[in-house]
Amino acid sequence: MPVDKVTQVAQTKPLHGEIPVYAQYTFGIAGEKFFRELKDNGRLMGVKCPECNLIYVPPRIYCERCFSELTEWLEIPNRGVVHTFTVSHIDLDGNRLKEPVIVALVKFDGVYGGLVHRLGRVEADKVSIGMPVEMVLKSKTKRVGSILDIDYFKPV
Amino acid sequence: MRKVAVVGAGMTKFMRRAQETGKELAWQAARMALDSCELTLKDVDCVVMGTAPDAFDMIHMKAEYLSDGAGAWRKPYVRGFLGGGTGVFTADQAWYHVASGLFDVCLAVTEEKMSSCLPHPQGAFVTCWDQYTESPLGTSLLWFFAWEMNRYMTMHGITERDIAAVSVKNKKNALDHPCAQLAAEITVDDVMKSEIMAWPVKRLDVSPTSDGAAALVFVSEDVAKRITDKPVWVEGVGWCLDTMYIGQRDLYYPKYVEYAARMAYDMAGIKEPRKEIHIAEPYDPFDYKELHHMEGLLLCDKGEAPRLLADGVTQRTGNLPVCPSGGLLGVGNAIAASGMIKVAELFWQLRGEAGKRQVPGKPQRGVAQAWGDEMQVGTVIVLGV
Ligand SMILES: [Zn+2]
Repeated sequence: MPVDKVTQVAQTKPLHGEIPVYAQYTFGIAGEKFFRELKDNGRLMGVKCPECNLIYVPPRIYCERCFSELTEWLEIPNRGVVHTFTVSHIDLDGNRLKEPVIVALVKFDGVYGGLVHRLGRVEADKVSIGMPVEMVLKSKTKRVGSILDIDYFKPV
Repeated sequence: MRKVAVVGAGMTKFMRRAQETGKELAWQAARMALDSCELTLKDVDCVVMGTAPDAFDMIHMKAEYLSDGAGAWRKPYVRGFLGGGTGVFTADQAWYHVASGLFDVCLAVTEEKMSSCLPHPQGAFVTCWDQYTESPLGTSLLWFFAWEMNRYMTMHGITERDIAAVSVKNKKNALDHPCAQLAAEITVDDVMKSEIMAWPVKRLDVSPTSDGAAALVFVSEDVAKRITDKPVWVEGVGWCLDTMYIGQRDLYYPKYVEYAARMAYDMAGIKEPRKEIHIAEPYDPFDYKELHHMEGLLLCDKGEAPRLLADGVTQRTGNLPVCPSGGLLGVGNAIAASGMIKVAELFWQLRGEAGKRQVPGKPQRGVAQAWGDEMQVGTVIVLGV
């Protein structure tokens, strides 16, 4: 096996580069509706597949199980439970955060799927799986049509 | 479909930052694999390349960039890509190139050079989550692992210490691997005391990022019989993808790995994997994943893997050696290449050529598995002699 290698690569000359592009996505048909409802009316919406009898959150225009077109939109409760969570101490670049963030997967009663989001107004050591939580929205004037229009979920 | 054998294997040393370019690494592994079975590039009918996100190497369309190093000059060439599941899938893909009857000799090469991506390859994941509901939160790859590990622990009452013992075992096994990056003698306490990244995930629960390449040579039965006395047969392959939506998955159990395993076991005629599999190389980028995957591979009941570990069953000298190579935790995690070195480890073990890593008792059959994409693909291969 070729095991005899230069191990001090700091001694080799690096060449720098980047991939200089950025993105501009559309929200899509389902996303447009979901985020408009959140922004304008502060409501969480799901969509039902009558074939599979499942309510999907985040909503979409088709069912991945049976490929039906989905048109039955409905409001879902703004309360859910912590399905799982983590307390994150580092950022995307691997740097230590000053304050750790608690991020959870929140599931809603009767809903297939869920949302990942931050937890707020709770200490990390008080969070547990199964804990009931409630959506806290930003004020209407601050909402822009983003998942961050939800500030965080807090314990009920 | 025709019988297919693995007849050669090669890999580079895994390291944090290699001097070689990606294509130089690919060439080293590919050349070593061909040399090991005394074939030359002239004998190769087609090449499959497995390599994970372009952003790791920071070269867009990197399979094309890597092609000459992989031996693809003027040959049929295709890239397989299933994120972290790529390495084992590339072996599955090589199998069907030959099993189909289209080609007699297929060179399968995997490569990753993650040190090109700064400040950290994790940044490349920013655009792979759902760009509407996940990415705006600054979603990190670690969160997904932490969410799964937490769920796995909670569902079965498993502790962080139970899980840390995987890291201890694999890093120790890697001490006998000449290509290992992070071989070490550590304790469960060392893991517990290592820096918390995203609770319950700590620094020593995690495999490193690596630069490396691996390669295997797949041939038809007639070629195998002509060139070697020790063919290792591909007995089964399987792969399966679960939903993209994290909220719709059973995070405590990898159902899609079970489906992939069942596909491979059915093909191999395996009815009782716990008796018929002698050695396993499940994907272990994080320590809990080895346990998770042992369960998905039906090698034990759900939640039972930590007990097998604690009882020594999965040690190299146990009844079911698991990751005798040292795995990703010990050898390193050059994403696609690290999946393939699991298949290579089975090849060496089943031929009795694993040196200091050789498991006792002449194993006859092994399973290797990788996992990835958006944390929801399972790729499996069963090899036997
Ligand atoms: Zn449906």
